[in-house]
Amino acid sequence: MDDNNKKSPLKLPQNSIKYARVIAALLLLALLILRGVNVAREAQLGSDTWLRLSVSGLVIGSMYALIAIGYTLVYGILFMINFAHGEVMMIGSFGGYFIFELFNTIPTTAADGSQSTFLNTSPVLAILIAFIVGMIIAAVAGYYLERIAYRPLRGAPRLVPLISAIGASIFLQNAGQLLFGPQRRQYINPTVLERGIGWNIELGGSQVVITYTGIFTLILSAILMVILFLLVQRTKLGRAMRAVAQDKQTAALMGIDVDQIISRTFVISGALAGAAGVMWGIHNGLFNYFVGFIPGIKAFTAAVLGGIGNIPGAMVGGFFLGIIESIGPAILGIDFQLKDVIAFTILILVLIFRPSGILGEALTEEKL
Amino acid sequence: MNPVLETRHVSKIFGGLTAVNNVDIVVPEGSIASIIGPNGAGKTTLFNCISGFYKPETGNVLYYGSPIQGMLTDKIASMGIARTYQNIRLFKAMTALENVMVGFEPRLTQGWLTAVLKTPGYLKEQNYVIREASKLLDYVGLKGLGDNLAINLPYGAQRRLELARALANKPKLLLLDEPTAGMNPQETDEMNSFIRQIRDDLNLTIVLIEHDMRVVMNISDQISVLDYGKKIAEGDPKQIQSNPKVIEAYLGPGAAALSEKYRREKKQ
Amino acid sequence: MNKESLRKSVSSALVVGIIIIFLALIDFHVVLAGMIQKLFGKQLYSGRLPDAGFFLVFLGLIGIWNGWRAARLDQQENKSLFQCIACSAAAGLTTGLVVAVYAVIVGSIDAQGTDLRVYLSLLSSDSIQFFLFQQPVFIGGLIHLGFGTLLAAAGGFMAALYYRNQDQLKERLSSVKSWYQERILNKVQSVPYINYILLGIMVLLLGIMPQVWGSYWNYVMGTVGIYVLLGLGLNIIVGLSGQLVLGYVAFFAIGAYTFALTTAPEPHNLVVNFWVAILASIILAAISGILVGLPILRLRGDYLAIVTLGFGEIIRILLRSDLLKDFTMGPRGVRDIAGPTLFGREFSSSADFMYLIIIAVILSIFFAKRLQESSVGRAWLSISQDETVAQATGVDTYKYKLLALALGASLAGLGGALFASRNQFTGPEDHALMVSINVLCLVIVGGMGSIPGVILGSFALKGLPEILREMENYRMLVFGALLVVMMIILPEGLWPASRPKLEIDVGKESESPQVGAGGES
Repeated sequence: MDDNNKKSPLKLPQNSIKYARVIAALLLLALLILRGVNVAREAQLGSDTWLRLSVSGLVIGSMYALIAIGYTLVYGILFMINFAHGEVMMIGSFGGYFIFELFNTIPTTAADGSQSTFLNTSPVLAILIAFIVGMIIAAVAGYYLERIAYRPLRGAPRLVPLISAIGASIFLQNAGQLLFGPQRRQYINPTVLERGIGWNIELGGSQVVITYTGIFTLILSAILMVILFLLVQRTKLGRAMRAVAQDKQTAALMGIDVDQIISRTFVISGALAGAAGVMWGIHNGLFNYFVGFIPGIKAFTAAVLGGIGNIPGAMVGGFFLGIIESIGPAILGIDFQLKDVIAFTILILVLIFRPSGILGEALTEEKL
Repeated sequence: MNPVLETRHVSKIFGGLTAVNNVDIVVPEGSIASIIGPNGAGKTTLFNCISGFYKPETGNVLYYGSPIQGMLTDKIASMGIARTYQNIRLFKAMTALENVMVGFEPRLTQGWLTAVLKTPGYLKEQNYVIREASKLLDYVGLKGLGDNLAINLPYGAQRRLELARALANKPKLLLLDEPTAGMNPQETDEMNSFIRQIRDDLNLTIVLIEHDMRVVMNISDQISVLDYGKKIAEGDPKQIQSNPKVIEAYLGPGAAALSEKYRREKKQ
Repeated sequence: MNKESLRKSVSSALVVGIIIIFLALIDFHVVLAGMIQKLFGKQLYSGRLPDAGFFLVFLGLIGIWNGWRAARLDQQENKSLFQCIACSAAAGLTTGLVVAVYAVIVGSIDAQGTDLRVYLSLLSSDSIQFFLFQQPVFIGGLIHLGFGTLLAAAGGFMAALYYRNQDQLKERLSSVKSWYQERILNKVQSVPYINYILLGIMVLLLGIMPQVWGSYWNYVMGTVGIYVLLGLGLNIIVGLSGQLVLGYVAFFAIGAYTFALTTAPEPHNLVVNFWVAILASIILAAISGILVGLPILRLRGDYLAIVTLGFGEIIRILLRSDLLKDFTMGPRGVRDIAGPTLFGREFSSSADFMYLIIIAVILSIFFAKRLQESSVGRAWLSISQDETVAQATGVDTYKYKLLALALGASLAGLGGALFASRNQFTGPEDHALMVSINVLCLVIVGGMGSIPGVILGSFALKGLPEILREMENYRMLVFGALLVVMMIILPEGLWPASRPKLEIDVGKESESPQVGAGGES
């Protein structure tokens, strides 16, 4: 082929592109390591900061993981990015918020006779109900999202459901804004789970607080992830889901109601996102209608990182992204406001050098 | 004199499944070679290895003696290998004429700038392509249908359109994947003679995958039989018809013995 | 009456009821009533709220639609008029009941004096009262119940009539259509040189309007024009070559910032000639298109989307960051960007700039159209239809995809430069993700791969909201819903692309081109 194009790209033989990529990857890695070593040598940050960052990274990572699982479930079954998934998380946040608010308005007397609210005298019950409500509302939202915006577009070319998803995301965000106002609201946690308090650890001359909310988030996410894993691997529903993900037609021929399975997938992914939303509120406190957007994108990044369609991959990807995001700016010695840049850059790099993700894609190649 | 196509020890493995297992096939120039075998034997996978869609795990695909395995498919097309597909894959939203015109891509020399400016050189080339593409449409029997969208054509016409598009590459080797699938006996016969005609008119070598034995036995100079990814037999139609291994592959174990028994009984 | 269809109509009625409640919660009914009233020019406000009449109309329309839907579901089962109406009435009853319950609850809470706006920020007391028709709580609820049922029944009746006489109606309609075509359309088309006349009128308008309609409209139409440029560029990338790029705003930003940084006094004080700066913006954007394209050539559609989204966000964050502040001026943006100069004379009045934009748009449309109809356009289309097969048919997909990115990006760069020059300012917030999404949506809504569609889409996207200023808050809400609805009803867009008829240019020679790969005949 000759090049009559003015801005003709370099016409490289195939092999040199491969070599170029390997060399570029190694160079990049070397650069990063060098930078990391430099920063460590300057030792501006004490080990207390590292601990703090790691823990907060883990906590955020666990929330990303829950949302990422939702993305991966939907992508595995429908081969589409559920752009509105972040908004489902937001709905969960609101659900939990209102429950806490409600319980906080019910006056009760505490064990020691003082005036208190229901929220604080039965915190376990309150938290339980908040999560259940948040998860249910989010699950319902996920269900209707699929019914309204995705199901009618089942056979359409890839672009069409994507646009529909974008539209749904915009709609839900703005509905949230109109309904609940643009102001940021603060979660009122039960005093037992107040933000900021936790185990104090002496390290490197200063205090590090491992917050109770953080621990709570980690444990609960882990429990949910285990439940999900068991559900997908061991139950009939899980088998059906995996079957539909592999081959819809054959699954239908085997008697599986494909529509119902797809609905249930959305319900489950919505529930997980809802849980993540409540956790976000409990741990981070402030939230509004926009809370789902960036975590949504990041969670998708995490799902892709781990290998889209791959559930353990989503979990790994979530944690990985959370930690890198937290520690990354510190290691590289750059500003925290650039931590989103790190997340996206990692995404791009992973997709260039290892498109199937960390744990490898579970989806088969396009066969001819 | 190198054969047009040769596959040497070609294997393709997907995860745990060996779809093509050490297959050697030699296709002499100017012949019509068929690849047959029960479903799932690996025939289309082999095609995909030859035309560049897959890179085989082992072995070489030699085109006039030079290895082409793993090459990009557009490069392979520009070298003179064209193919059609088992499930017709036309460019649906484009007209029939445009589908064929795309096939001229490897031979085009004009770029985007001359296209925008509509220079005389560009226009000359465009007219040439339109003229030749129309001729191809006529040749395959789709005269006058050029402006129809590809999806609007009837099934038989779509198959012929795909053929025209392949011929637009000006190939020396034509790979046809089940060209008569879904056709009734009359259409099959027409396709039969048409394949032979193409080979004669255009001096091509043709390799086909086929299930319809009428076609296979009728026009093939050479037949290779695959089963579970391995080549189990090769020869001319007569040889293959009476090959016990082939009969077993299609009809199951014991069928060969039964067939032999019938043949002996018939002779009596 | 069929149980199944009854169940279906009731469940869809429930959904309608929830929709009404949702609209009430976001105060939509008040705003809409106000808007309708404005449109009809009447001034019927009593106090701060529009008249109940319009609310009734609004509810009435919904009620009729509700009943119509129920009747339609039922039509497939039986044809008895009575049962049909009964079905619709049942639907209306359900909806009315749901809405009434909501009204009663909310009204009672409000009557106790609690301000619900703490939780639901648009649910003011006035709004609630309006919803209850300024009546006591239970009466208001009953009104909803009765009204909903009645109008749904009416809707069902109308639907039944329609479906009975459907064929006749359709015939009537098509005869009207053919009359229109014969008498009017054909007459118009047969006027000699009609195309040129229309073109002439348009040119005249374009020439005169910028002087006449004032700087506000120049600004609005100028924005529309710039979005047309963006749309054309993205159309090449997404519509023609089928690569879903979600970070298009990155190229826009590169164009804008290149222009800004080369002509503004700070931070670099380069003060480059206007036209050179524009050229630089285009070229830099094109190069960045190629650079972005190289690593992602082999990614599948959705991955491509996310990667480009990430890229767009990276650019924005970097522009805003302190890290690059010395280079890009950070969050404050770049000011005092130059206006266009021609032979040393500055001409940056709003009309002048409008002319510039118009010229740029016309050139770009020409450029895009030529490309689309050429062999390059065909190659792109084949890639978007079936990339694997296109490549196997001999199309060099890598080259063409990069080309699409480069050309599409350069259009964005041009748009960005013009944008920066016109506003004489640009900052990181001009380059948010929303811009990418807006452009993508206008391409899709207008019709992918269709140039008139892009123009239509730009007008719809950027022109209309200006007119609908009133509904500012609801604009995005409607926009999102519109996207979903459009994808379901009309995915090919408002003005779908069509393939041009190919003919040999009579009078030109048609020889075989000079040497190319492959055999000769």
